Amino acid sequence: MYDQGTWSEYWEGSTLITNQNIGTFTRSTYMPMIAYGITDKLNVLLSIPYVSTKSDGGQLAGVKGLQDVNVAVKYEAIKKDFGKHRVSALAVAQFGTPMSNYLSDYMPYSLGLGTQELTGRVIGQYEFNKMIYVRATAAYVWRGQTEVERPYYYNNGSYYTTFMEVPSAINYQAVLGGWLLKHNLRLEASYNVLNCVDGDDIRRWNMPQPTNKFEVTQAGFFAQYYFKAIEPLKGFSLMASYNQVLEGRNMGKATGIGGGITYQFTF
Amino acid sequence: MIVASVTSCENELPTHFKFSAYQFSDLDVNGGSWQPILLSSATDVAIDAPDAVNSTEYLAELAELKSAAENISGSQADAVEYWTNNPVIRWNEIALELAAKYNLIPPPNPDGTYTLPTAANPQGPPPFPFAHPPYTSRMLAYLSVAQFDGLITAWHYKYEYNRPATYVTDPTIPYAYSKNTLPSYPSDGAVIAVVSRDILKAMFPLEHDYLNAKAEEHLNSLKWSGSSTTSDIEAGTTIATAVKTAAIARAQSDKMGAAQTPRPVSDAIKQEAIDRFGWSWDNQEVPVRPVGLTPRFGQVTMWNVPNVEDVRLTTPPAPGSAEFEKDAKELRDIAKNLTNEQRKIANWWSDGLGTYTPPGHWNRRTKEYIIKYEMNPLRAARTFAYLNMAVMDAGVACWDSKYYYHYPRPIQTINGFKTILGTPNFPSYPSGHSTFSGAAAEVLAYIFPLEANNVRAWAREAAESRIYGGIHYRFDSELGIEQGEDVAAYAITRAQADGADD
Repeated sequence: MYDQGTWSEYWEGSTLITNQNIGTFTRSTYMPMIAYGITDKLNVLLSIPYVSTKSDGGQLAGVKGLQDVNVAVKYEAIKKDFGKHRVSALAVAQFGTPMSNYLSDYMPYSLGLGTQELTGRVIGQYEFNKMIYVRATAAYVWRGQTEVERPYYYNNGSYYTTFMEVPSAINYQAVLGGWLLKHNLRLEASYNVLNCVDGDDIRRWNMPQPTNKFEVTQAGFFAQYYFKAIEPLKGFSLMASYNQVLEGRNMGKATGIGGGITYQFTF
Repeated sequence: MIVASVTSCENELPTHFKFSAYQFSDLDVNGGSWQPILLSSATDVAIDAPDAVNSTEYLAELAELKSAAENISGSQADAVEYWTNNPVIRWNEIALELAAKYNLIPPPNPDGTYTLPTAANPQGPPPFPFAHPPYTSRMLAYLSVAQFDGLITAWHYKYEYNRPATYVTDPTIPYAYSKNTLPSYPSDGAVIAVVSRDILKAMFPLEHDYLNAKAEEHLNSLKWSGSSTTSDIEAGTTIATAVKTAAIARAQSDKMGAAQTPRPVSDAIKQEAIDRFGWSWDNQEVPVRPVGLTPRFGQVTMWNVPNVEDVRLTTPPAPGSAEFEKDAKELRDIAKNLTNEQRKIANWWSDGLGTYTPPGHWNRRTKEYIIKYEMNPLRAARTFAYLNMAVMDAGVACWDSKYYYHYPRPIQTINGFKTILGTPNFPSYPSGHSTFSGAAAEVLAYIFPLEANNVRAWAREAAESRIYGGIHYRFDSELGIEQGEDVAAYAITRAQADGADD
């Protein structure tokens, strides 16, 4: 999977501003991912993103490197057919932790938040006629502390420590999807909200920091084509995505494009 | 369950230095004879003799104090614990917190111009002050000097009138801290509370409510802890008010008001450098900031150096010279192969926008030594006063050289150079961090001789950190340290003669 997000405006607190000393900011993520089905109902997913960041304004250096390793366990709790309709429900537990000692306190260029993340997610889906489906997910993303390289920082008051509290977040997503071309092409439109439960705002014309209250509302489109019928490509699929940040807080107003390729091994 | 167990490994994040009241290593009983900074001597402020310890008036005060100290609530006990018997520490922390809160650079307006903060309209936007390193160094110098003069005066009258501690006269008064033989009148705590509040109110005009509330809690805690009666506090307040007045008078005429020059003056300073040396520094931000930070801070009245030109540095190597190219190449090499250790050092000492600045960083370390060596409030105030006078003088000296030489920064001279720290809005030579740190380390080495190696190593690391950050050449850092040491020598000479070493 590859994803590239770019922005030239960002929210300082809830005020959308531009900063020519950043210019246009680009974050590229290469994310190899492996999924393994332990049973029909239980999958394990492993991903290791490689991230690079840069901007075309100002003099601050971009960074690149391995970000966080993520392991997720996905369990299909309910799958029930009603004629041609199907209801399913899944639960996902995901754990992420930094792969390298990248510096989280170098925002917006930093590779990630530099903290352990534990996500609990529930997913419900209803499929009509095996053609159209709606999916809703809700998640709580618990985040710990990140170790920074300065012994003092300001977060609505003094902090005499090299640790910062990274705010946890709540995530909701709604998806409308459908199958076309004899179930070879999947199309999805999504609406995604991720809001930190606490945190401070970027101060006026100041750098962001991992303690900030990040909020983002995003609309996205996703397409995936499965080469089920074309013999040498059987098992492969191609993915493409586009998403746009609509509303935010302490975040870039990013436009993202992505692409990817999957291959399903059969033993 | 997993969340709960992971959470329990998390660190408590301290918002102030955790220490408890302690027994002072020495009471400095002759402290009242030390030479103050703003006053000519402790007797500049007249304080009447207190009522006798067996007078009706004083017995009533003691009864009131006993009642206050015996019936404290949980939050009052917390206040007693927080302020301790060395509240110089807490007011220094409050000053650093306000520095960090106000250390925000003015943003550009939509039309590309910049509006600068002004004391005439503190609300702004942008709010006043911009507590950058020169501003913060000066703020801390006035705070510490005023605390020091106030406490010398308090010590003088304590031992002149010898009113015993409250708990000596009435042993049933519950005293919260370590008992000693320091006389109670005038209250040293009240001196610290009132003088600190008033200096910081002058420096941070938008924080009056916050500072009033802090001082009120501190003054109340003097009663909740059983430390000071009403007349002790009133006499302390009288001293603080007199010293504050002297401090503000000096501040109003120290030429800080002219440090941030208008554009034509700034352009003339730059032209002088071009005429003298053939080079000049230019701000690289977009939109360009038309005036650098405080071009005339180098003309602000110094505390201990008679003339800033006495400590002006020699001419740096010209851009393009072999000596310059050697240091520029070092910067390119470091940027290409930055180690994790170098990155950490750069960030550790960065103390940039939004923080308590390098002067704040050195105050924080000084605070830790004051507690380690169990200094009494007077000795603590002296330590901060000489530290912060030297640090401010270092800033003045550094800024004089910065704008005299008007030396371009690495991002200006090295094509396409990228840095991991933001480049500040003032000329390169010498490094402010290095000058501040060189001066701070020498004063601390004088006051804490057992820590001399540590503090000098820190100063060298702070100087080196700017090279790793890509914002200073090696000659900026090395000459900065030397200049700081030169400036500190003046402060140390004065300190050695103030009576405290006798």
